[in-house]
Amino acid sequence: MKREFFALAVTFLLFVAFPAALFGYQAIRTNTSGARVIDLIAYAPANGGWKPDSIRVNIGERVRLRIAAPDVVHGFEIPALGITIDEILPGHTEEIEFVATRAGRFPFACTRWCSADHWRMRGVIEVIDPANPNPPRATFAPPLYQQLKIDLDAMHVAQNLPAQKPSAARGAAINLALDPRTQSPSEAFARLRANTPLTDAQLWDAIAFAWKQSAGAEQIARGQKLYARDCAACHGEQGRGDGTAGINLPGMAMMHREMNRGPADFTNAVQMFGASDAILHGKILRGGMGTGMPEWGSLYTDEEIWNMVSYIRSFAFDYR
Amino acid sequence: MNTSRIEITRYPIVKKILTSRWLQWSAIALTLPFFILAILAGFFGTPAGNRNFGIVFVWIVWWGALILLLLPFAGRLWCAICPIPAPGEWLQRRALVQPRAGGKLYTLGWKWHRKLKNIWLQNFSFLAVALFSVVILTTPLVSSIVLALFALIALAMSLVYERRAFCRYLCPVGGFIGLYSQLAPIELRVKDHAVCASHKDKTCYVGSDAGYGCPWLVFPGALDKNTYCGLCTECLKTCPLDNVALYARPFGADLFSNTGRRLDEAYKAFIMLTCALAYSIVLISPWSILKETAYAVGSPGWWVYAVAFLAANLVIVPGIFYAGVTLAKKIARLTTPTKKLFVEFAYALVPLGLAAWIAFSVSFVLINFSYAWQVVSDPFGWGWNLFGTADWEWTPYFAGAQAFAQIPILLIGLVAAIGIAIRTAQEQGASSRTALPVIAFCVAYTLALIWLYV
Repeated sequence: MKREFFALAVTFLLFVAFPAALFGYQAIRTNTSGARVIDLIAYAPANGGWKPDSIRVNIGERVRLRIAAPDVVHGFEIPALGITIDEILPGHTEEIEFVATRAGRFPFACTRWCSADHWRMRGVIEVIDPANPNPPRATFAPPLYQQLKIDLDAMHVAQNLPAQKPSAARGAAINLALDPRTQSPSEAFARLRANTPLTDAQLWDAIAFAWKQSAGAEQIARGQKLYARDCAACHGEQGRGDGTAGINLPGMAMMHREMNRGPADFTNAVQMFGASDAILHGKILRGGMGTGMPEWGSLYTDEEIWNMVSYIRSFAFDYR
Repeated sequence: MNTSRIEITRYPIVKKILTSRWLQWSAIALTLPFFILAILAGFFGTPAGNRNFGIVFVWIVWWGALILLLLPFAGRLWCAICPIPAPGEWLQRRALVQPRAGGKLYTLGWKWHRKLKNIWLQNFSFLAVALFSVVILTTPLVSSIVLALFALIALAMSLVYERRAFCRYLCPVGGFIGLYSQLAPIELRVKDHAVCASHKDKTCYVGSDAGYGCPWLVFPGALDKNTYCGLCTECLKTCPLDNVALYARPFGADLFSNTGRRLDEAYKAFIMLTCALAYSIVLISPWSILKETAYAVGSPGWWVYAVAFLAANLVIVPGIFYAGVTLAKKIARLTTPTKKLFVEFAYALVPLGLAAWIAFSVSFVLINFSYAWQVVSDPFGWGWNLFGTADWEWTPYFAGAQAFAQIPILLIGLVAAIGIAIRTAQEQGASSRTALPVIAFCVAYTLALIWLYV
C-alpha cells in the first residue's frame, strides 16, 4: 500500500504541482518585473493580422509588449507613442517595455513589407486615464484639402509644363513668394508668368527652389525615410510607380482612363505639377481614390505627411 | 526452438527489472511531464512553432526518437511508455503500481465491435492526422488540441471498453508502430507453446493476483509477430510457469513468415509508404506552394490537395501495386486470388516504408533538432532561460551530408523489400522472376525518394 501511495503522490505532483510550478514561475517573473505583460501575435494580414488587434493600457502603467511573429518578418510601431521594433524574425519573440504618458487611441502597425496586404496590418492601443476614463472626444481641425474644399478624386492636371525638369539649384538665386500648400506648381507658374522678366525655364527653376526651401532639408530627409519604408514597395524607389507590390492592386481597373493603371508616378509632371501640396497631403492622409492606395492618416502625424509630400516633390523637381 | 534468437530474460537482472511492477509506471512517470508540458505549451505558449516546446519536442524530438531509434531497434517499446493511455489504464485498474486481486478492471467492459477488430480505423485516423499534418505539425495550439483529444478519447474508451481498446484499434500512431515493429530485433514470446496450451487458467490473458490480463487483448501463447504486443510486460508478471520471455532476434524476423497477413495491415503499409513520399514532396521539397496549399485548410487549393492526398493513399499507389501484382500473377500463371497475392506482396513494403520514414525523418530532424535546445530553456516562448540555452542559434546538423545517410538507408530498405518480395513469390510456388513487377515498384519508389533528397 505504501508504494501505491508513493506512486499516487508522484502522479498527483506531475498532474497538479508541475503545471502549477510552471505558471507560478511565470507569475513570479512577471510580478517581479513590475510590468504588465501583453502578448501580441503578428500574423500577415492573410493569416489574420494582429492578434489581438486592440489593446488597452492605463496611463502610467508599465507595460511589456511581447510580440511573436509565427509566419514572416514583421516590424512594429506605435507612431504616436514613439515605440518601434524594427524587426521580428519568423519564429522569434521580441519584447519592448513602455509607459504611456497620455490618453487616447493610437494606431499600431507592422512596419515591414510582410505581404501584399501589409498595410492592412494595423491595430489600436487605447491608453486610458483612470482618473478620467471617459474623456470627451478630441476634436481636430479638418485637413487642408477639406478646408480648401478640394475634390481629391477629381483629375488635377497641370495646365503648364516645363520643357525640362526644373532644378532647385539653378533657381537658387531667385526668391519667389509662394505658398506651395494651397497652389500647384502649374498654378504658381501661371500666376507669376505675367509679372516676371524670367524666362519660362528660369521661372520653373525658381518654383522648384521655392518648393524645396519651403519644405526644408531635414523634413525632406524624414519624408525620405518614411517613403522608403512605406511607399517605395508600390511607388518604386525612384517614384516611377513601378514598385513590385503595386502590380495588380485592387481598384486598378476602375482608375480614370487618363491616369496610369498603377500606383501614382511621381515623376509624371502632368500629375505632379497639377497638384498642390494640400492635394498630395489629402491623398496620403485619406488614401482611396478608387485605387489600392491605403490611408496613412491614422498612422502618420500631420507633420510626417507634410514631410512625405516634401520628399515626393523631389521626384518631379530636381532638388540636388 | 528458434536458435537464431537469444533470451534476454535469462539474465536475472533483466528478468527482475521486467517483472517489477514499478517498471511501467516509472517509465510513464518520466514521459508524462514531457507530455503535460507539450500540451500546456501548445495552449498557453508562443504560437511560433519553432519556439514552442509542444511542437519541437513532440514533432521533432519525440518523432525523431520514435522513427530513428525506438521503432527500428525496440519495436513497440514506445507503446509501453506512452503517457496517452496511462490515465485511463490507471483508472481502469484503480491502481498505479499494485495489481488488483485477480487482475480485476473497473470498466463497463464493453467488447469492441467484431467488425472493427482490425486496424482500418487506425488507418483512417492516421490518414486524418496526416491530411492536416502540415497544420498540426506547425501550429502549437492545434497540435495540443489533437494531443489532448487523443488523451481524452483514450480515457473515455478505457472507462467504457475493455483494456486498451484505444491503443489496439484507434490510435493513429499505434497502427504503424505495430506494422514496423515486425522489423525490430526484439520480441516477446512464450518459450514453449505446449506449456501455454496445457495451462488452463490463462492468467496471461485474464489476469491474476500478480498482474493484469494482456491490456492489448493478445493471448501471448498465440503470439507469432510483434504487431499487437505492446511490450507492457504484464504477461511476464502473470505467467506462473515462467513461460514468457523477451528475446533478441534478427531484424525483420516476423516477415520471414507469411502467416496472418491481412488486408488492413497491407493497406497500412501503402498508407505509410505514400505518406512518406507525400511528406517528402510537400514538406521538404523546393515547391513551397505545395506546403502553403496543404496549410490553407478549407481553401479550394487545399480541397484539391486533400482529394489528391487521399486518392494517392487509398487508390493510386495501391492501384499501381495491384496492377503490378496482377502482372506478376500472369507471368507465373498463378491460381492464387489476386487479392491474396496483393496482400502477401504488400508486406515487402514494410521495410521499404520504414526506410523511407527514417530517410525522411533524418532530414527534418537534423535540420530542426537545434530548436530543442531553445525550447528546453524556454518551453513556452515566454522569455525564460532555464538552462542558458534559450538563445542558442538554430543550426542545421550535418546539412550537406544528410543524403549520405538517406541513400544507404533507402537502399537497405529496398534490398530487404526485394528479399521479401522474392520470398513471397517462392512461397507461392513461383520463380523469383514473378516478383519482378513488385521489385520494379519498390525500385521506382526508392529512386523517386533519392531524386527528391539528392
